[in-house]
Order: sequence, then structure tokens, then C-alpha cells
Amino acid sequence: MTTSAHTAEIEHAHVEAQPPRGWHRLTAPGWLRVLWTTPLGFGVGVGLSVLIRWAAHWHPLFRGQVITTVELTTTPLGFLVGLGGFDYWAHYASGKATRPEDHSGHGARSWRDYFRVNTDHKVIGIQYVVTTIIFFMVGGLMAMLFRAELARPGDQFFNPQTFNVLVSEHAALMIFLFIIPAFAGLGNFVIPLMLGAADMAFPRLNALSFWLLPIAGTMIVGGMITPGGGPSAGWTAYAPLSVHQPLGQVFFNMGVQWAGASSIMTALNFLVTIITMRAPGMTFWRMPLLVWANFTTSLLVVIATPFIAGSQFFVMFDRVLHTNFFEFQNGGYVLGYQHIFWFYSHPAVYIMMLPGFGIISEVIAVMSRKPVFGYRLMALSLMAILVLGFSVWAHHMFVAGMAGWLRVPMMVTSMVIAVPTGIKIFSWLATMWEGRIRFTTPMLFSLGFLSMFVIGGLSGIYLASVPIDIHASDTYFIVAHIHYVLFGGSVFTIFAGIYYWFPKMTGRMYSERLGKLHFWLTFIGFNLTFFPMHYIGLQGMPRRVANYAPRFADINLFISIASFGLGASTLVFLYNMIRSWRYGEAAAPNPWRALTLEWQVSSPPPIFNFDEIPQVVGNPYEYGVPGAKHAIFGAPLPEPVGAD
Amino acid sequence: MRKGSIIQLAAIALVAAAICVAVALAIPWLPTPAGKEAQRIDFVFWFTTAIAIGVFAVVVAVITYSVWKFRAGPDDDSDGPPIHGHTTVEIVWTAIPAVLVTAISIVSAIVLAQNSNAGSNPVKVSVLARQFAWSFTYSNGKTLGYLEVPVNRKVELDITSDDVIHSFWVPQLGQKQDAVPGAHNKLVITPIKLGTFPVVCTELCGLGHSLMRSHIDIVKQSDFASFMKSGGTTTGPPGLAVFQKNGCASCHTLKDASATGTIGPDLDKLKQYATQAHRGSLAAFIKESIVNPGAYVQSGYQNIMPPTFGQQLSPNDLNDLVQYLAGQAK
Repeated sequence: MTTSAHTAEIEHAHVEAQPPRGWHRLTAPGWLRVLWTTPLGFGVGVGLSVLIRWAAHWHPLFRGQVITTVELTTTPLGFLVGLGGFDYWAHYASGKATRPEDHSGHGARSWRDYFRVNTDHKVIGIQYVVTTIIFFMVGGLMAMLFRAELARPGDQFFNPQTFNVLVSEHAALMIFLFIIPAFAGLGNFVIPLMLGAADMAFPRLNALSFWLLPIAGTMIVGGMITPGGGPSAGWTAYAPLSVHQPLGQVFFNMGVQWAGASSIMTALNFLVTIITMRAPGMTFWRMPLLVWANFTTSLLVVIATPFIAGSQFFVMFDRVLHTNFFEFQNGGYVLGYQHIFWFYSHPAVYIMMLPGFGIISEVIAVMSRKPVFGYRLMALSLMAILVLGFSVWAHHMFVAGMAGWLRVPMMVTSMVIAVPTGIKIFSWLATMWEGRIRFTTPMLFSLGFLSMFVIGGLSGIYLASVPIDIHASDTYFIVAHIHYVLFGGSVFTIFAGIYYWFPKMTGRMYSERLGKLHFWLTFIGFNLTFFPMHYIGLQGMPRRVANYAPRFADINLFISIASFGLGASTLVFLYNMIRSWRYGEAAAPNPWRALTLEWQVSSPPPIFNFDEIPQVVGNPYEYGVPGAKHAIFGAPLPEPVGAD
Repeated sequence: MRKGSIIQLAAIALVAAAICVAVALAIPWLPTPAGKEAQRIDFVFWFTTAIAIGVFAVVVAVITYSVWKFRAGPDDDSDGPPIHGHTTVEIVWTAIPAVLVTAISIVSAIVLAQNSNAGSNPVKVSVLARQFAWSFTYSNGKTLGYLEVPVNRKVELDITSDDVIHSFWVPQLGQKQDAVPGAHNKLVITPIKLGTFPVVCTELCGLGHSLMRSHIDIVKQSDFASFMKSGGTTTGPPGLAVFQKNGCASCHTLKDASATGTIGPDLDKLKQYATQAHRGSLAAFIKESIVNPGAYVQSGYQNIMPPTFGQQLSPNDLNDLVQYLAGQAK
């Protein structure tokens, strides 16, 4: 293709970028097209199911569970087609002329651009973060509801079915729709900027991965109102209980698939972006630790996530196709579910932790005005956690009755993970040592994370020890432990990240006063809520119960009241975010005086990130080194190596 | 690092450790052990706690000291010293945690081996879990809705399930084991204290999970011996045997069967329930309530009885059970 033809095509694209008129609005990608493609997808699902059953002479023709399963695949596909998630690929596949330089789907000029298939990683990052915070609120609200039930022993507000649904939904939303995708969102916004890239490697895939998320969330929440009751087998959904649950369980099965697909696609995108799109001079040993953290996390995601997909598919097959993966009467292997499930879900703990480690490394170095202590060991310890993370899954099964010899090796590998984790903790402390620490909100959340995560890590040592775990597993001690790790750990780092990059994302400063208020309310509410759970668990209160022994009544009332306070503290955060986004004072390009690349461009960044490609000349954390630079702009670029 | 700062840091660490020790000692974290296994678990717990307090105190001390000493003033734009790392320090803080977790692992492995050792002649009890009741069967054929064991003898439980996964736990004994359908898992307990303690299901098993409770009676060895002798085949109407074999006693009260469960309706009041329910004759009402428990739910109780007894019981057993229960209703 000649250069002139190419240029003409771009101009042509600009002409076509005019909004469609009249009936064309129904065929152009967007919400009007969604209005008819979604029901079409639904109809195709029902039709497929009935047609196949008719052709095979199966009766009855209409089986609710079968139709639901098929339709939970085809309806979302219809939605995605309507929104335009596949338009470019469809053009390409059908042999029509594509426009490689068409940027009409890139960037946000009005709020409407956040509600369509947008290929700009910065828009997608914000779409992710806002969506996940909505699910965080919904999941938190469910926790408040079942804490109200648990305020007294006996039945208060909910029957056991509703209680089990609330507990299962709370965990599923927080894990699959908040923590994991929130990190994907922050990473989406920051990583291409940190690498000096114009966008992610696959912007259209990136847009599609985001739009799978509202689908997954709607499905998991929507499962609550299905006939017979929502998913109520816990977020772990152990078979065979989950095989015999009402229809809502299928919504859980499929929702996890959609969320998992979104995760895998984003992780692939991160991997390719990090490997191939680093700015000149950005060697692996010059990458910020957040990039390292997302690199290792993405490896975990692409290797491990197919296993949870497998576990949910098998349960679904047992339900719909009458297979016997987990039906012991017919030769199924009940513990097989747990082995497959935890082969994902333990690495998932690191998927929910490592990106947070990355955020903390950024914040602590910048706010302490010192280089990260032991940078290379910090990166290597991430890789060590990645490798070890795959060898510890069965520590969730010490009381499950698996092969006895597996227990001690799994205990040892679980214990060993404390070593790289310890390296990280001590290195953060050493980074702060003799620094010039600024106690901004992100720094407060980082310090909160450090102290709380140490408690969660230490209670993890108790649980790695088989004899203690035999006593403590499936009790409130576990509930306390996971919340110290996932709330005191992950959620605190998400807050730190949101406050830290808020000026870059929105171009405005948040209110420091409200941010600090939010931190202290959360920190205190969190400890009052979750610390007493260690005690009631060890004393004999099992998890996931709507009723409990009267001797735990007072302490549960205390926990419930504290949890309402913790929930209320989130309102301060919301108010701060919404108000500052609208009315906050304009943010400088680099309010924290950080060296990493995302701070070297305007706030918010230009539509294609860098007007000039940066040339990376040094390490990202050279605070205190006179004249040190991470990157320079406007330097003559070196000849690309092997570009032919 | 100056000598003064080391002393200050150590002082903060000591204070933090002292507070942690006080919290550890002031609160009775673990139930008073009623079994040898729980005593050993307690030992591992406190061994680990000592190490955990040490680590936590150091971390808290460094954070506190940093917050106190390294705070930048409002107009201070200076940077900290460009320290990039320190190989010796990094080796030390890799090695020390490695040594500590190795120590915990060794202690844990030894205790695990001891706690799993059933000895040469344990008392054997078969434990069957089902939604939402426990039943315990002895070598003499006796089946109870609760567990009775002798003090100071090893007991080996053979645990299984009929439907979904449950988990057997006695907090005071420290031991726990999942009841997995299709598998027979072993659990060793060595009671050392007379008394009655709760048996708790700790694996989410459905609607009645939080009500799936029983108890364990730890009795004198002589009492246990006479309990075993008195056993054997249950005398009395055939329906009583069905009642006991199927664990009805875990949830229901019935004087004639010495059943004291309170999760489900009191079967001594069946006549009164039948009048309230208006669902045909007494026998028809009882049969319906077993085969299709959701058809009528007595007020004050929840609809959690598994609807599977209709398939589990043979028609004869079902008839015997209905006859027996109807005969007991006054």
C-alpha cells in the first residue's frame, strides 16, 4: 500500500467518525444496538438448546437449567456484539478493509465515552476502577446485612438460605469483581505510562476484557433473584454441595467464567505489553516494581485461572450433562474439586497480593524520598512467590482427608513463602529508614498495610502449621486471617494506589484532610471488626453460620457494630472521590515529585501518553542521588536493534 | 546507625513485645484442653506465638521509630540518603525467617505425627454425617446421636458422609476432620477430662449447617465398659431401630428413644402438630413429613430437613418408622 493511499484512508476514517443518523443508529455499535442484539443473543441460546434437544429426541424440550446455562453464554455475547466489542475483528475476518490507524474509539472527550468500547488504556483503567468500586460497595453492603443477622444468636432477619447467599455473594464479589479487577484497572492505567508506551499491546482486547466484567458482576449478583434461591455454597462452592444447589449456582459458575476470561485476557495483554513495549533503555532491571509485580501476577493469572474455569465447568457438567466428576455414588472423586479449585485459588491469593506489593513499593519510595532498598531482591522475591505459590494449594485441605503424606510437604512450602514475603516487608522498612517521610494519605495506607499485613502473614504461619490448622480451619480464625490479608493487605493497597494516582487519573487533587479521616476510620474500624474474630474462632465458632452459641453473643454484637462503622468509613472515601473529581484543585503533572514515567507527563496525560518517546537512562527510584534521572525526553533515539 | 537510635529502637520493640505478651496472656485464646491432642496443639500454638510476637514487635518498632524520627517538615523538600541496599543485612533477614519457619515446621511435623497415632488398641467408633445430623455407631452395633467415649483411652473415629461434605470438630479436643462422601477418614482423639463438650460441623453443608450440632460425653472407663456391655441389638419395636439407625435423634426429641435433639420439632408432640396441620390421619401426616418435609413446617422450626429420606429408607423401614412414631404419639 502506498503512503498516499494510507493517508487518504485516515482522512476517510475521520469523515466516517461522524455520529450515525436515523436508522443507522440501530446498526452502529452502541447502546441502541445492544437493545436488540442482547435479546437476539437470548433467543439464539433458547433456540440452540431447544433445537438440539428436539433433534436428539430428548424430553422435555424446554429444560430451565439447560437453557439458562446456554443462555448465560449467548446473551452476554449478544450484548458484546451490540456494544461493538467485535466490530474490528469482524471486519478483518470478513476480508473488509480495516483501518489500522483509526483512533475513533480512543480517548474520552465526554462522560459518554466511558460507556462504550473504548480502546484507550487510561479510559479503560478508570472504567475498571469505578466499576470495581461499585461492586465493592455492593459486596460491603451484603456484609453489613449478614453482620446485622449475626448481631444476636438465633434468627433475626434472614432465613438460612438468604444468609448463605449473602455470605457467598459477599466473598465472590469482593474477590472476583473487586480486588482482582481493581488491580487490573490500576495496572491498566499506570503500566503503559510507566513503560513509556502509547497504550497496551492489544487495545481492542483490552476494551473487551473490561466489558466482560460488568457481565460477570451482573451474572453473579443476578443469581440472587433466580427461582429457588441464589448461589449459597460459599465462594469456594465445594462439590457435591454446589452440584445440588438451586439454579442460582449456575449463575455463579458462569459468572466466574466471564470474570476469569476477563482476567486472563488482561494478563496476556500486560505480559505482551511489558515484554515488547518498553521504552528505549527500559531494561527489566530498570522497570518500576509495580511493573515487576504485574508481570509476575499476570504469569500467575494465565497459568492458574484455567483451573478455576475447569472446576466450575465440571460442577456445571455434573448439573447439566449428568457427568459424575464429583458424584461419589457413580465413581466421582469428591476431593478432586478442591484440588482443582485451590490450584487456582491459592495462587489467586498472590494475584490479589502482588500488585499491591508493587503499589506499596512505589508509594513508600516516593514518600520517603529514598531508593527502594534491595531493588533486585524485591523483584526476585516476587518471582520466588510466583514459583512457590504453585506448590502450596493443599494447605487449604489439611482436614479434607487427602493423602496423608501430602500434608508435611505442603506445610513446608507454605512456611517457606514467609521468607520472600519477609524480605519484602523488611525491605520496605529499610526503605523508610532515615528517609524524609511525608505522611500523605497513600503513605498512611501503606503504613496501615505494612502493620496489618504482618498480622495477616503471621496468622498465616499458624495456619500453615498442620496441627494448629486442624484446630483452626473453617472457624472465624480463618475469617480473621483472610480479612487481615485481603482487607488489611489488598484493599489498603488499592486505597493507597487510588489516592496516589488520583491526581494523574483525574487531573485534580483529592482532599488530604478527608483522605486522612478515611484512613483512620478504616484502620480503626477494620481492627475492631476483625481482630476479635481470631478469638471467637479459636474458642469454637465455625464460619458461615447464621446461628451460634450464646456465649459468643456479646463479642458478635461488638463485631457487628464495628463493622457498620467500617462500612460507614467508605462513605468518606466516596464523598472525597466524587467531590474532588468535580471540584478538586487542578493537579500539577508531578505532585509527589516522583521519578517514574507516568509523572513526567501532564495530569491527566495526553491522549497518546507521550508527545516524545522517553529515553530511559537510569533506575526508577534514584531519590537522593544528585542529578540522577530515570528518563530523558527529546534525546536522539538510538537505532532500533533488529528492526528489519 | 547510631548507638542511641539502636537503644531507642530496642526499647520500643521491648514495649511492643510486652504489650503483645500481656494481650496473649490476659485473654484465654484457646479452650481449656480436654484431650491430649489439644494439649500438644496448644504447645505448637504458643511456640509459634512466641516467634510471632518477636517478629511483630520488631516490625512495629521500626514503623513507630520511623514515624517518630523520620517525619519530613512541611517545607522540607530534601531527599533521604541514597542507600540502595546492604548485602549482609539482606542475607540476615532472609536467613533468620528461614530458620524460624524451619523450627515451627519441625515442631509441627512431630506433633502431627503424635496426634495422628491411634496406638495399638483404640476404641473404634464409626461416624456418619448427613444433612444435618451426626450418628455414631459402636462395635457392638449401638448407634447414638451423640458421641460417648471413655477418658484416658485413644479413640479412633472413622468418619464418612452420606450426602455432602461435613466436618467433625470438638473445640476442646482440638481435632477436626472432614466427613467426605465416599471416603473414610480417620481421626484420633485421646480425652483426658470428664465432661460434655460440643460437636460442631464446620464445613458449610446446606441450610441447616449452623444447627448441625451434637455433643460428646467423656465418661469414666468403667461407665464406658458397662455402656458397651448393655449394648448390642436394640430391643423394642422395629421402628425404634430405624429411628436410631438414621440419626433422627440428632435433631428430634423423643422420650421413648431417649432422643433429645432440639433442631427439629419435638416428636413427643406429634399429635398436637397433626391437629394443627390438618393433613389427613396421624400416620399419613407423619409419612408425609418424612418423605416430603417441606409440605408442612411446624411453626417455630425451619424447613431444613433433607427431603431425601423417602429414597434412603426402604418401604418396610419407612412403614415401621411411621407405625412406631404414631404409636408414641399421645
